[in-house]
Amino acid sequence: MIRGAIAIFKRDFKKFLGNPYVLIFTLLMPIMYLVIFGNAMGGTISHVPIGVVQEGPPYTETPLFSSSVEELIHIQPQKDNPRLFDVAVYTDETIAKRDLSEGRISGVVVFPSEVSRDHAIRLYLDSSDYMVPTLVQSGVGAALAKTGSHNPVQVNKIYGDIKYIQFFGVGVIVMAIFMTTMMGGGIALIKDREMGIHEGYLVTPVKRSSIILGMISSGTVRAFLAGFIIFVVGILITGIIMRSMEDFLLVLFVIFIASIGVTSLMVSIASRFSNQQEYASTTAFFNLILFMTSGAFYPTIGMPDWLRWITIINPEWYSVHALRSIILRGQGLGVVGPDLIALLVFSILAISLGILTYRRTLE
Amino acid sequence: MRGGTAHSSGSGACLTPSTESIIRIEHITKIFKNRQTVVAVDDVTFEVQRGEIFGLLGPNGAGKSTLIRILTTLLQPTSGTACVDTYDIARDPEKIRGIIGVCPQNSTLDVELTAYDNLEFYGKLVNVDDDTLDARIWQLLKMADLADRAHMKVQTFSGGMRRKLEIVRAFIHHPLILFLDEPTIGLDPESRREVWEQIASLNAEKTTIILTTHYMDEAEKLCHRIAFVDKGRLIALDVLENLKRLIPAGDLLEIGFETMNEGVVSSIRQDGLINSVEVKEQKLVISAKNGSRVLPAIVAIFEKFSLPISSISIHSPSLEDVFIYLTGRKLDGGNGDLKPAGRGRVP
Repeated sequence: MIRGAIAIFKRDFKKFLGNPYVLIFTLLMPIMYLVIFGNAMGGTISHVPIGVVQEGPPYTETPLFSSSVEELIHIQPQKDNPRLFDVAVYTDETIAKRDLSEGRISGVVVFPSEVSRDHAIRLYLDSSDYMVPTLVQSGVGAALAKTGSHNPVQVNKIYGDIKYIQFFGVGVIVMAIFMTTMMGGGIALIKDREMGIHEGYLVTPVKRSSIILGMISSGTVRAFLAGFIIFVVGILITGIIMRSMEDFLLVLFVIFIASIGVTSLMVSIASRFSNQQEYASTTAFFNLILFMTSGAFYPTIGMPDWLRWITIINPEWYSVHALRSIILRGQGLGVVGPDLIALLVFSILAISLGILTYRRTLE
Repeated sequence: MRGGTAHSSGSGACLTPSTESIIRIEHITKIFKNRQTVVAVDDVTFEVQRGEIFGLLGPNGAGKSTLIRILTTLLQPTSGTACVDTYDIARDPEKIRGIIGVCPQNSTLDVELTAYDNLEFYGKLVNVDDDTLDARIWQLLKMADLADRAHMKVQTFSGGMRRKLEIVRAFIHHPLILFLDEPTIGLDPESRREVWEQIASLNAEKTTIILTTHYMDEAEKLCHRIAFVDKGRLIALDVLENLKRLIPAGDLLEIGFETMNEGVVSSIRQDGLINSVEVKEQKLVISAKNGSRVLPAIVAIFEKFSLPISSISIHSPSLEDVFIYLTGRKLDGGNGDLKPAGRGRVP
């Protein structure tokens, strides 16, 4: 019994050591989890952009305005921490609100004029984000308390109350796309290669580009169906309300473009691998980085700068942003257009990479 | 990048069409460099003639499959050139893929698809016309005796059925040249015979067939010309009869006896047509260039000494004997100066 056990142990261990690639990635995974999870989820949120406006007429700054702005600029959640707010002074309330609705700032504080009847301070919050609206509200409250003013504060959540499940539900659509592509598409592709089906392709006149495009299109359809199903299930579970048919169709369009982007990336990675283990450890790694920095769990504003850079090249970030803009904020093509363009550029790059690196010979 | 070559011109050497040869291989060498350097194909030169069944014969690991993979554009040679029809393997791989059919050693069927779907899929990859594809698929399924299983998944098929399906798939588009890498490996005798019949009937339709095998009987039965490959080198190439003549010993005669007389042995040795005589237990083993011609004289000697013969057998050399002879001599030669006998015969 012992002899057999030792033989099996030796065999497994030899294989483990014989594949340094998998070895490195399995060790790298927990380290990356620590670094990325720790930084993405535990980071202190700071430098939240907010706008301040002095109500008019007259548009002259009241003492309340100047002292409050001073406090807002300098407020720190704890001592020695970076400042909580990046304060921008607006002179026009409509412009400030437009910036708020387009996501450039997270909140607007409107200070009453001298002639105002109730002297109420109005606070407008982008409630589609997670954590940030609460933080802005408490930060503004603390700053006002320091000035010693007793003006009432009216809080307006411009998108109403959005629960975390709704915030996260949108991210899960993108996760569904990624998982389908990684598990279904990529692994199947490598299994085909292991089974020699690709060798069968290679002795026919079919072109590399045809092979890649064929694989990407079938993967895209599968990923789209997965994204669509999760979207519908999400509506039922999380209570998201679609405002119009146009919004609904726009969501489907975004899911489709996101499917192309993620599938192209996976196919171009998978077409380089001939071993399921290597592929699985690589994609698990990509899954981690891309999903964590997509903003699906947690606002990207809480991440350190170096991690936030990844979002710029992360197709999932654009997908999550576009879906959230439509589903939670009711925004249209004007806002999600740049996301779609970014996704398309990404897809084209990934497809070209896939075609260029696909091995036409067996070596 | 080789993938994108759109120009149709082959290299100068390949362009001149030859009525005789369809494949010309010149000094092809393939070296694999991983942890160890392996010379899989070592400076091989030969031609395959139009319309023949050409056999590449050799033990496992001799380099047969590597050679096939080079000719089917799956691998690039380390050095040397080869022409397939009028195309250079390095310059026009896409053109070559259009005129060849390949049945690789390891199955490339999709076992999760049905037999029909496998053929349909492949037919589309090799550009079979949609109008004729369905009829062609049924024709092939009947040929492979699989028509009643057309819509069953390949994973339910036996090894022989899969192999037959894969072979018919390889010529769905009526290729000019068909490469079969170990077509009957692991098949039972019945299936092997069926595969052989298929190959022979295809060849009757003017398809050139290149076949690798390590079964001597297969090569003997099917091939017009046979190339012996061993350790990456071509050691002999000729028609079967000529290959057999390479063995100077000729036929082996075994005469069984009960009692032996020294006089018999010495008398037989007198015969000029006989190469050697040995006594092994109850048998006299005689090697002669032409066994049936010397036999009467041997029988006469036995009668002269009034000794009874208990058995007679004449054994013509098989391909296997030729192969053992060729490779054996190579091994005996030791220092590589003594190249195998067949080398001089290579055209």
